[in-house]
Amino acid sequence: MVDKLRRYEKIDFLGEGQFATVYKAKDSLTDRIVAVKKIKVGSRAEAKDGINRTALREIKLLQELKHDNIIGLLDVFGYKSNVSLVFDFMDTDLEVIIKDSSLVLTPANIKAYLIQTLQGLDYLHFNWILHRDLKPNNLLISSEGVLKIGDFGLAKFYGSPNRINTHQVVTRWYRAPELLYGARLYGTAIDMWAIGCILAELLLRTPFLPGESDLDQLTRIFQALGTPTEETWPGMTQLPDFIQFKPFPAIPLKDIFTAAGDDLLDLLASLLNINPLERCTCDQALQMPYFSNNPPPTLKAKLPLPMTIKRQPEEKPSLKRKLLEATDGASLAKRLQF
Amino acid sequence: MSWVLYPEWISKSTTSSAVNAACYISDRFLCSVLMIMMKSSKMKGVIDVLAMQREKRISLQKSIIIDYTKASDSFTVARFIFECGFKLEAHPLTISTAATLYHRFMREAVPQGYDSYLIGSTCLYLAGKMKDNHLKIRDVMNVSYSTLHRGAAPLELGDQYWGMRDAIVQAELLIMRMLKFQVMPEHPHKYMLHFLRSLQAWFGEEEWQKYPVARTSMSLLQDFHHIPAILDYPPNLVAIACINLALQIYGVVVPLMDECDQQPWFNVFCKDLTRDKLWEIMEKIMASYDEEPETRDH
Repeated sequence: MVDKLRRYEKIDFLGEGQFATVYKAKDSLTDRIVAVKKIKVGSRAEAKDGINRTALREIKLLQELKHDNIIGLLDVFGYKSNVSLVFDFMDTDLEVIIKDSSLVLTPANIKAYLIQTLQGLDYLHFNWILHRDLKPNNLLISSEGVLKIGDFGLAKFYGSPNRINTHQVVTRWYRAPELLYGARLYGTAIDMWAIGCILAELLLRTPFLPGESDLDQLTRIFQALGTPTEETWPGMTQLPDFIQFKPFPAIPLKDIFTAAGDDLLDLLASLLNINPLERCTCDQALQMPYFSNNPPPTLKAKLPLPMTIKRQPEEKPSLKRKLLEATDGASLAKRLQF
Repeated sequence: MSWVLYPEWISKSTTSSAVNAACYISDRFLCSVLMIMMKSSKMKGVIDVLAMQREKRISLQKSIIIDYTKASDSFTVARFIFECGFKLEAHPLTISTAATLYHRFMREAVPQGYDSYLIGSTCLYLAGKMKDNHLKIRDVMNVSYSTLHRGAAPLELGDQYWGMRDAIVQAELLIMRMLKFQVMPEHPHKYMLHFLRSLQAWFGEEEWQKYPVARTSMSLLQDFHHIPAILDYPPNLVAIACINLALQIYGVVVPLMDECDQQPWFNVFCKDLTRDKLWEIMEKIMASYDEEPETRDH
């Protein structure tokens, strides 16, 4: 195990959270740059329950997964009372790119990000895994323009018809209406909704539905997309936390996303369908005309990157913030209830 | 994945733990009785189901309470994991995961190097985390403690309590590292589910309902987790062996074999499986019943 410790040469300290410390390191065997996330075990009162469950989820799920658009867990090793996870090193994430006002996101750029996200997510869903925390911040981007879905701290197998899940998942702004209504049995549609919100954010360059409370979140959804009825969403009134909202008319998507073409609006409408059973799957989304129409997606190497990464690829610590948040358990909305 | 398709004994977790324990004993015992009868008839012929049920009723009255402090062989510790698992109302897959982790750990470890029951309890706790079937550490400790020291009062919140808690946390990390963080076993259960569903369609509903093949196959599989031999065979073959053994027990013949060019039913699911290999696994499954105290008397 000491060998493993020596194998990864620390380059830079990226940050420290409640449960983990993250380093940028070089794998001396392969010369590859990696991110080492060192999980603390049993050293603090709240960690007295043994190995952190979030870390365990990442270990058990990511060990089985291998896809270009999923963050790679390269190695796991233990030393003294620590467990360390070795990940692909990613230079930045989609949130940084969206917020960087010096960058222009062309329709072709957006298409390239979306394709990569959907392909990664399709692979996850195909392997019976829900991500349950998709947001721009968790879509990591390398300096080569490869997008990888990261942070599997909330991910879970799905498909057991009698297994009850918690509805307290997904960061609020990206949370699907069925979750806000307290659904305990849900499926891939919750991830698809989040993709819809992320696509909208790529177009608007600001969060599409930034609710300030769960109730406000539902209000914003219905104000934009129209209040659903038992006809448009059968079964809605049976959900545990259902409450009747005042009927808002739907705003046509083309009035919100004025620059988007019809094929993109069709995709958006399908991703943001209020009725989870009618929301498209990854596979269906990828088959839609938007992806085969012009313009073709930008080549990965030509996708925009923040200036700091282009100039000094070694210095950019944008992953720090991301990994810090991930290991902190972040906001209250993200935490699971056990 | 689809537990709803499994026979009813899977849903035991919804009943009280006392009932669970009873079902568990009786299920195991049923299988033991079947095993003995299989052996005495040299695995030929059909077993008298009525006699079997009589035996089962007798067995219920004399299920044995094990004193775990007297032994720490792999069977006894696995049984301890099962007993604690039932008392904790853990999911059956959580229990089989725990038993698998335990057997794998013991293969890596030096003999007598660790406290078997600490490792056993920790496997159960870790399996709960792995299978998203969270068991509280304090519950695991209390159940383990009272199972090990029957009749003793629960642990006070003192040095002993914190010492044990710390031991479990440390042992958890030790197990993870000994197993090189590969702590997600591939279960035979999922193969079994699909094989049984296929056989169900193959038999036709009416024929299928005549014998509890599904239920017995599941019981045999779960019981096989009592001995480390379960690690020696790929999960799909273990599933086939349990089903074939259940079919043999009830003397059930898979229909329409003439349509299959005389190849046995299991070659549909696994082309390369030979009869010899299959019987080897089946004998291992039966051997798991040799070690239990209920049958030692016979």
